[in-house]
Amino acid sequence: MSNTENRPVLSPVLAIENYSLDYETANGPFHALKNIDLAINRGEILGLVGESGSGKTSLAWSIMRYLPKNAREPGGKILLGGDNLLEKSEREMQTFRGRRISMVFQDPSTSLNPTLSLGTQLAEVLVRHRGLTRQQAWKEGEERLAHVGLRTPAQMMHRMPHEASGGEKQRVVIASAFACNPECIIFDEPTTALDVITSRQILDLFVELQAETGVASLYISHDLALVARTAGRVAVIKRGDIVEQGTVREIFTNPQQEYTRELIAAVPDPAHRLVKDDVVDTDKPLVKVENVSVHFGRKSFLAALTGRKTDRVTGNNAISLSVNPGEILGIVGESGSGKSTLAKAMTGLNRFEGKIWFDGREIRNLGDMDNAYRKDVQIIFQHPDASLNPRQKIFEILSRPLKLFGDGSDLEKQVGDMLEQVRLPRTHASRYPHQLSGGEKQRVAIARAFASKPKLVICDEITSALDVSVQASVVQLLLELQKASGTAYLFITHDLNLIRQIAHRIAVMYRGDLIEVVKADEIDSPDRADYTRRLIEAVPRAAAQYQ
Amino acid sequence: MTEFLKRLLKTPQGAIGTFLVVLVLAIVVFGPMIAPYDPEKLSPLARYKGPSAAYWLGTDQYGRDIFSRLLIGARATVVMAVFATIAGTLIGALIGTASAFLGGRADELIMRTIDAVMSIPSLLFALLVVNLLGSSTINALVAVAIAFAPGMARITRSVALSVRKQDYVNAAIARGESSAYIIRREMLPNVIAPIIVEMTIRVSFAVMLFATLSFLGLGAQPPAAEWGLMVSEARRYMHMSAGILIWPSVAIAIVAVGFNLLGDGLRDALNPRT
Amino acid sequence: MIVYTLFVVSLIVFAITQILPADAAVMMLGENATPEALDALRQTMGLDAPIWQQYATWLWHVVQGDLGTSLRTGQPVGPAMFEALGRSLLLALLSIGLMLVLAIPLGIIAAIRRGKIADMVVSLISYAGVALPEFVTATIAVLVFADWMKWLPPTGYVPLTEDFFGGIAHLVLPVCVISIILIAHVSRMVRSELVDVLHTDYIRAARLKGLSRGHVLRRHALRNALLPTITIVALDVGYLLGGVIVVEEIFAIPGIGRQLIVAIQARDLPAIQAGVLIMAATYSIVNFIADILYAWLDKRIQYD
Repeated sequence: MSNTENRPVLSPVLAIENYSLDYETANGPFHALKNIDLAINRGEILGLVGESGSGKTSLAWSIMRYLPKNAREPGGKILLGGDNLLEKSEREMQTFRGRRISMVFQDPSTSLNPTLSLGTQLAEVLVRHRGLTRQQAWKEGEERLAHVGLRTPAQMMHRMPHEASGGEKQRVVIASAFACNPECIIFDEPTTALDVITSRQILDLFVELQAETGVASLYISHDLALVARTAGRVAVIKRGDIVEQGTVREIFTNPQQEYTRELIAAVPDPAHRLVKDDVVDTDKPLVKVENVSVHFGRKSFLAALTGRKTDRVTGNNAISLSVNPGEILGIVGESGSGKSTLAKAMTGLNRFEGKIWFDGREIRNLGDMDNAYRKDVQIIFQHPDASLNPRQKIFEILSRPLKLFGDGSDLEKQVGDMLEQVRLPRTHASRYPHQLSGGEKQRVAIARAFASKPKLVICDEITSALDVSVQASVVQLLLELQKASGTAYLFITHDLNLIRQIAHRIAVMYRGDLIEVVKADEIDSPDRADYTRRLIEAVPRAAAQYQ
Repeated sequence: MTEFLKRLLKTPQGAIGTFLVVLVLAIVVFGPMIAPYDPEKLSPLARYKGPSAAYWLGTDQYGRDIFSRLLIGARATVVMAVFATIAGTLIGALIGTASAFLGGRADELIMRTIDAVMSIPSLLFALLVVNLLGSSTINALVAVAIAFAPGMARITRSVALSVRKQDYVNAAIARGESSAYIIRREMLPNVIAPIIVEMTIRVSFAVMLFATLSFLGLGAQPPAAEWGLMVSEARRYMHMSAGILIWPSVAIAIVAVGFNLLGDGLRDALNPRT
Repeated sequence: MIVYTLFVVSLIVFAITQILPADAAVMMLGENATPEALDALRQTMGLDAPIWQQYATWLWHVVQGDLGTSLRTGQPVGPAMFEALGRSLLLALLSIGLMLVLAIPLGIIAAIRRGKIADMVVSLISYAGVALPEFVTATIAVLVFADWMKWLPPTGYVPLTEDFFGGIAHLVLPVCVISIILIAHVSRMVRSELVDVLHTDYIRAARLKGLSRGHVLRRHALRNALLPTITIVALDVGYLLGGVIVVEEIFAIPGIGRQLIVAIQARDLPAIQAGVLIMAATYSIVNFIADILYAWLDKRIQYD
């Protein structure tokens, strides 16, 4: 303690000292957090990075003193401005929460009550902690909303959550977190549920407000690149242990731990291309999509009777693009841009108008998609939990395409080979999907898609439900399989950094329209369409400046 | 199978429910063999007896042994209820699956019609059907089955529709599987579980519906030992001995609670993810 | 919606009453009537016309408010049925009232004390509640409270306008008996809805804003948890109407249920048709109102 004399100045706003947390389970205690030491000073942003199950969210609940009943705290302190929160009663904590320490949550569509207006939910914090009357709080609320960059605060106060966009809602949540000028705010993945451009705007707002108020911030995220952009210091958490902490520069330039190195390596870096640009533009593409449109909505029986008009929603608006043999074509766009709709049309899951040419054959409707087409075009879905039947064993799941498209002989051996191909033990064949981890399940889904030796595999956001390190290994596997088989990929994702690493060309979609198709290494050129440029700007670059 | 049983017996509902239902089924199978007396043998000298070593649960207004009557009446009461529920479930599942599968206008028309049919209370519906066919046990079975079908159709349809939206079904369609395979191997195993749960719980309602029909004179006819009928007949003599009324009521309650608990236990045990 | 429902119900009712092995002419003139007299009557009643024509005529009369003439009493069916419906509605409304007063608090207590003794007691009550059919509980209730305790009259009906307290005393047992199963069902539904809501992110977010448990429960949770209860109660009205039939029969209350039982036993076709139609209409109207109420309270679904 060399700086004892400076203590009043340096005393951190939030200090966690040797804190541990256990959950009691039927199989004995589960150590969620082990001897955590963290400190955040005024005006500082500490990034806490970890994968799912690392305990990062548990730490947030511990600080907020909002723990489930089976939680046990073997030791340690959590100090907020010198007050040990572990010694506070629930009643005292209620006066702290929202006033001295507040929180911003991951998904604004679930963290706001759907049946109360945005204004009510903002004003109740002000009434609770600042003793304002309802009218005063409402007025103050309008000012607060204006402050977080909402253009029509008075109307926004009266809106219900479903009447506001995700970005607008998250602004309201941020406004309530800042409402009582707290000493410390915990941000729990505040942009993960938002679209790329919106999340960039929210991030900018956060940085601005943080600088203005000097609030000590704990920024929790799974995304190292994102944290590197905002935080001054980073702590890396793994299975309840803080394995490493330091300034962003230290972490990136000189990581001490193997795990940190893995995490950094797993962050997609667009400058580091993983494929060779050896696919030449041919005049004989494998697939050609010509003016494909998809519409949803059907007149309901009742609407037909009453003659009420029903809106036809357009999912895809006259899309034309092509995929060459052995090419990886990336499709990027925000949610609702029609990426998945196109994938479904191409695999016969949606009706479509227009034409698809496959290997020289013309396909006008679902009826034209015969067995040969189904064999050659495979799809992998985002959530392996949903795409693997929970009541079938892996063997049955994998042997099915073999029976349909292969010779169906010696299934036992073939299924085993398939599992090995995706780096899974042969014995997994006798398991059910729920006995596998998320990454393992997605590998099974990949194996299933490759069973028929397809010419085109459509990957619909297949990595976005996975942790960063798992994601990297799944991408690696896909690239190896591609190298071995020469299969073309239609790779749909919202992760621009990832797609810039692995795609030959990238198609940008927006609200059902195809904006443009460009070569992957030319996507950041200034000649790109306006929307593409905004998209590229919004993406947090991996901390390349440190590498 | 043993793993499934373990899961079922792990919850208190599952354990108690299984115990009660197994007990009831044992009585259904072995009841007539272990009944100490002829259930229809009148003993004018031994009327309204309380429980004793000779008559475990006492005797009724005609001096018949209540215990023996309950043991034998289990078949009439429980077997009928189970059959009626199964029949109703099959009809309902067929309509519901067809509706979900057809989709579009046909689905909407079928469901609106089902809604309309459900606006007639099931007891009233059963009364009408029995009245139409004439009062007898078999007709009561048909009536209860028909009364249950619309509700089961609704449930089947909603479960089938939610399964239909799952990506594993999409994957099968994209793979070019036949409709028959998709329905049989991908959808059915996932649809059946919630239906079995609902069916189990409904057995207890069927037991009560049967009893009510008998009570209104439209189900089993005297001197049958059906439990609902026993309660109904006991009403006039309950001042003489409350036992005539209480014991069959207890028997009905055990069956109803047993199937209810078993249904709740199955709900947890059949969920593959817990 | 209601129109379509009633149309389907009218078809069903007409179909069932047509297949019923009862000849209206025989019923009116007796078994010993001459064939000539029967034929003449059939002709005047329109019974010799094709079925669809009979149905159209009947439906046309119904639409105009004429529900037909009872074969049993020779009186118009409509007025008698609606008078009986009034008494049944009193019984039904009181039962729903009692159910709501008890089931909602029970469900709430069970949800907020989840896993505690209070929760187990409530779930025991709900299992016990669905264990016995109404006629058994009714019989036992009469035995205990009327015969043994002598607290309440066993059966019968006294109009409230005649003797208010006497009328109420006669209604206590029927109302309680009808409510039991409903209480069991609804309290369980309220519990599971509230448990779900209490586990949502927005409840956690509200608590982490420093709002007290009570405030969050009142302002955030209850409203959202109780909304679906409207639908559940409306659907339970079907069960309630069935219960009304049985309870009216046991307690000798001259409501629509009793009228229906009498009509069914006497095979009084016009009365059966009218009674079932009225019951189905009641159910549909209640559900229609519930849908509107739900949409009004839950602003989210206005845009559906």
